[in-house]
Amino acid sequence: MTVLPAFRISQSVQMRRVIFFFVIIFVMLPAISMAADQLVVYSGRAERLIKPVLDTFQDKTGIQIQLLTGSSTQLVNRIQAEGPHTQADVFITNDAGTLERARELQLLKPMKIDGIEHIIPSAFRAPDNSWIGLSGRIWVIVYNTKMIQPDQVTSILDVADPKWKGKLAIPTANSEYLQAGVSVISAVKGDERTEAFLKGIRDNAGNFIYGKNRQIVDAVAKGKVAMGLVNHYYIYRYLAEHADAPIAPLLTDQKTGEMGMIMNATGIGVVTHSKHTAEAKKLIQFLISQPGQHMFADRNKEYPIHHEVKTDPALPPRKSFHVAQVPLAQLAKLREPTMLLIERSGLR
Amino acid sequence: MTAISRRQAGFSPLPLFAFSIATILALPLLYVTYSAFSAKGEVWGRLWATRIPELLFNTITLAIGVGITTLVLGVALAWFVTRYEFPGKRIWEWALVLPLAIPSYVLAYIYTYLLETGGSLEQSWQWLIGSDAQIFSPYSYGGAWLVMTLNTFPYVYLLSRASLQNFNLSFEEAAHASGATRWQTIYRVSLPLIRPSLVAGLFLVTLYVVSDFGAVSLLRFQTFTYAIYQQMTGRYDYGAASILSLLLVLFAFLFLIAERWFRQQSRFFQTGGHIRTRAATPCGTLHALGITAFMSCIFAAAFGVPVLLLMQWTWDAWVDGNMASGFLSHIWNSTMLSGMAATIAVVIGTPLAYLACRKPTRFNLLYLQGAYTGYVLPGPVAALALLTLFTQHLPFLYGTAVILLLAYLVHFLPAGLQAMESAIQQVNPNIEEASRSLGRKALNTFRYVTFPLVRGGFTVAWILMFLQAMKELPATLLLRPVGFDTLAVRIWLEASEELYQLAAPPALLIVMISIPVALLLMKKNWQTP
Repeated sequence: MTVLPAFRISQSVQMRRVIFFFVIIFVMLPAISMAADQLVVYSGRAERLIKPVLDTFQDKTGIQIQLLTGSSTQLVNRIQAEGPHTQADVFITNDAGTLERARELQLLKPMKIDGIEHIIPSAFRAPDNSWIGLSGRIWVIVYNTKMIQPDQVTSILDVADPKWKGKLAIPTANSEYLQAGVSVISAVKGDERTEAFLKGIRDNAGNFIYGKNRQIVDAVAKGKVAMGLVNHYYIYRYLAEHADAPIAPLLTDQKTGEMGMIMNATGIGVVTHSKHTAEAKKLIQFLISQPGQHMFADRNKEYPIHHEVKTDPALPPRKSFHVAQVPLAQLAKLREPTMLLIERSGLR
Repeated sequence: MTAISRRQAGFSPLPLFAFSIATILALPLLYVTYSAFSAKGEVWGRLWATRIPELLFNTITLAIGVGITTLVLGVALAWFVTRYEFPGKRIWEWALVLPLAIPSYVLAYIYTYLLETGGSLEQSWQWLIGSDAQIFSPYSYGGAWLVMTLNTFPYVYLLSRASLQNFNLSFEEAAHASGATRWQTIYRVSLPLIRPSLVAGLFLVTLYVVSDFGAVSLLRFQTFTYAIYQQMTGRYDYGAASILSLLLVLFAFLFLIAERWFRQQSRFFQTGGHIRTRAATPCGTLHALGITAFMSCIFAAAFGVPVLLLMQWTWDAWVDGNMASGFLSHIWNSTMLSGMAATIAVVIGTPLAYLACRKPTRFNLLYLQGAYTGYVLPGPVAALALLTLFTQHLPFLYGTAVILLLAYLVHFLPAGLQAMESAIQQVNPNIEEASRSLGRKALNTFRYVTFPLVRGGFTVAWILMFLQAMKELPATLLLRPVGFDTLAVRIWLEASEELYQLAAPPALLIVMISIPVALLLMKKNWQTP
C-alpha cells in the first residue's frame, strides 16, 4: 500500500504532462495557420482546378498559400461572419455574382493595379477593381449528335419543351452557374417565362439531375439523354479524354435581337481585412499575366480574359457568338429573386 | 455517515461547474430554436409551401424503408447465428458487426461508383437480364435506402442477437406443449419476447437515418440534414436553415421520446427459476450452405466489396504516386482534433456523470439531460447553431479550432456520457465513502479510488468519442479552420468530385481504425430492460 500512492503520483505527473501538451496545442492551433509570409485563399473554384495554379505561384514567389475550398456563397458568408478576424486574404470564385455580392457587403478591397484597363475589359471587373474577372465560361446545351439535329433547338428556352421529356439532363439547383444562368434568363425574359422554363426543365429532366457537369456530359455522350445544360469547357474536357464521343455544344439565341449566350466569369478579390495586400496583389498580377491566364483559363478550356492570350482552337471563337447583355455585376441583385423562383419551381 | 453527508453539504464547485457545462452544451439547441422563431414569417410560409412537405415525406419514407429492411435483415441474421450450428458460425457472429466500421459517406461513395451507368453492376445486370436493363440510380430513394440499410442493420442484429441469446426456452416449450405450430410459436411467443430489443434497434436505426448527413449528401437525396446544409451553403441568410433545423430537432426528439415510451411499455421479466437457453440446432450441409450464402451476400455488400475496392484504389494510388500530398497532415489534423475533443469530453463529462450517479438531485439530472441534447442535434444543425452563436457573440473565435471542438463536444458527449455513467454506476459508493472516512478529500478519493475503477469504462468512452469525431463530416466541413482538412473532409471532397482513387486512402484508414471499435460493440451488453 505504501508503494502504490507513489506509483499513482508519478502517473498523475504523466497525466499532467499529457494535459499540458494538449493545452499547448490547443492554444497554438489557431496560430498555426497564421504564419507570416503566407496568403490565405478562400476558393469557390474546385481544388482540382485551382491548386496547380497556386502551386506554381508559390514556387515562383516563395509566398506560401493556404487554401480553403467550399461553395462560393458559403465562403462569402464565412468572410462576412469572420469580420475583422478573418484569415482570408484572397477570395476566388466561379461566379461573378458572388464577387459583386461580396463587394456590396464591403468584404473586398478596391485595388490599384497598373495597366489593368489594358488587360481586363471593364465588363469583367468591378469599377473600383475590388474584383477582377479571370476567365469566362458560357452556359451551353451539350447534345448527342446521333440523337438530335442542331436545328431542333435554337433557343435555350426550347429545352423546356415537353417533347424533350426524359431526354434532358440538368445540374442540381445548388449549382451557382445554374443560378447565374437563371438570373440572366429572368432579366431578359421576365419571371413568368423563367418559371415556366424551370418547371419545364424539371419535368423533362425527371431523375436526370446531376451534381457535376462531368456527369451530365457523360450521360449525353452515352446516349442516356439527348442533351444537357453545362458549362462549355466540360464538353472539351470530355472530348480530350474520349475523342470520338458523339457530343457537341449548341450555341443558342444567336439571331439578331435574341438573348445571346449566357456568360459568367470566374474572378478574384482581395479581402478588406487582409493584412497581406502586397502579396495578394502579386497573386492577381500573376493570374492576369499571360502565363497565369494560360494556366488558369486556357488550360481549363475557358475563355481567357486577357485579350492577347489565345483561346483554345477547339472552342468556338469568342467573336463567333454574342452574349446576353446582362452586366455581371447585376447577377448579385438578381440572386435572391432567382433563388425564390428556383425554389418555387420545385427544382432541387 | 452523518459526518460525511454534512461535509458533502458544504459548498462544492462541482455543481456550478456541471451547471455551466450543461448550459454551454444546451445552448446550441436553445439558439436554434430562438433563431428559427426570429426568422421572418414569410420564410416560414415559403418553406411550408415549397420544401417542408417534400423533406418530411423523403425523411419519413427513408426512415421507414430502412427500418423495415434492417429489421428483417437484422433479425434473420441474429436468428441464424443463435439458433443454428454451422461451420464458421463464430466468425460470422463477429463479421456481421464489421459494416459498422464503414462511415455512411464511404459506403455511399462506393455505391455511387458501383451503381453508375455502365458500371460493373449494371454490366452484370445487363448480362443477366438483357442489354436494355437498367439498374436504379444511386442518386435516388433506392440508393439512399440501400446504403443506409447496409450501414445500419448491425444495430438491429446486435440487439436481437443479445435478446435471442438470453431467451428462455421454457416459453417456447410451453407453446409447443399447448399445441402451437412452429410458426405460431415464432409469431406469438418468440417475436413478442424480443420485441423490446427490436424496438430499441429500430429507433437506433431511425435516429441514425434521420440525422445522417454523409450518405444523403453524396447521394443528393433531399432529407432534412442535406437541405439544411444546402440552405447554409447556398443562401446568404440562415433563416430557412434554422427553421428546417428546428423541425429536424423536433423530429429527432419525438423519436427519442417514443423510444423511451416503448421501452417502458414492453418490459418482460424472467419470473423465478433459472433461464435455460436453447442449444443451437445443427444444420445439414444444404441448410448450412444456404445460411452461409445468405450471410456472405450481405457481408460482401456491406463490408467485403467496399473494403476490397478501397484497398484496390489505395494500392493504385500508391503505385501511381497519386496519394494526396497532404495525407500525413490530414491524419495528424484528424487525430489531434479528435483526440482533443475526446479528452476534453471525458474531463468535462466526469462531473456530470458523477453527480448524476451519486447525487441524483433534480438539478444534477437536469444537467445530464442538458448534455444529452446533442443526441437530437444532427451535425449540420450543431454547426449552424455554433456558427450563428459565435459570429454574433464571439466572432474572434470563428474560424479557429475552438468552435469545431465545441461542435464535436455537443455532438458526441452523449455517446461518451452513457459509457461513463454506467462505469461510475458499477462502482460501489461504499468504497468511496470508506476512502472519505479514512480522511481522503473528495478530489483525491476520485483520483485514487474511483478513477482506477472506472478507467476501463472511461477509456471506452474516450475511444467512442474519438472515433465519432474522426468520422464527423458536416460540422467539420462548415467550421474547419483554414488549412485544417481532416480525413473525413478529404474523403467527402474527393468523393464528390468522383476522384475515387484519391478518396480511398483516407477512407481505408478510417475503416481500419474503426474495426476494433465495431468489434468492441460485440462485447457491449445490449440487453434491453
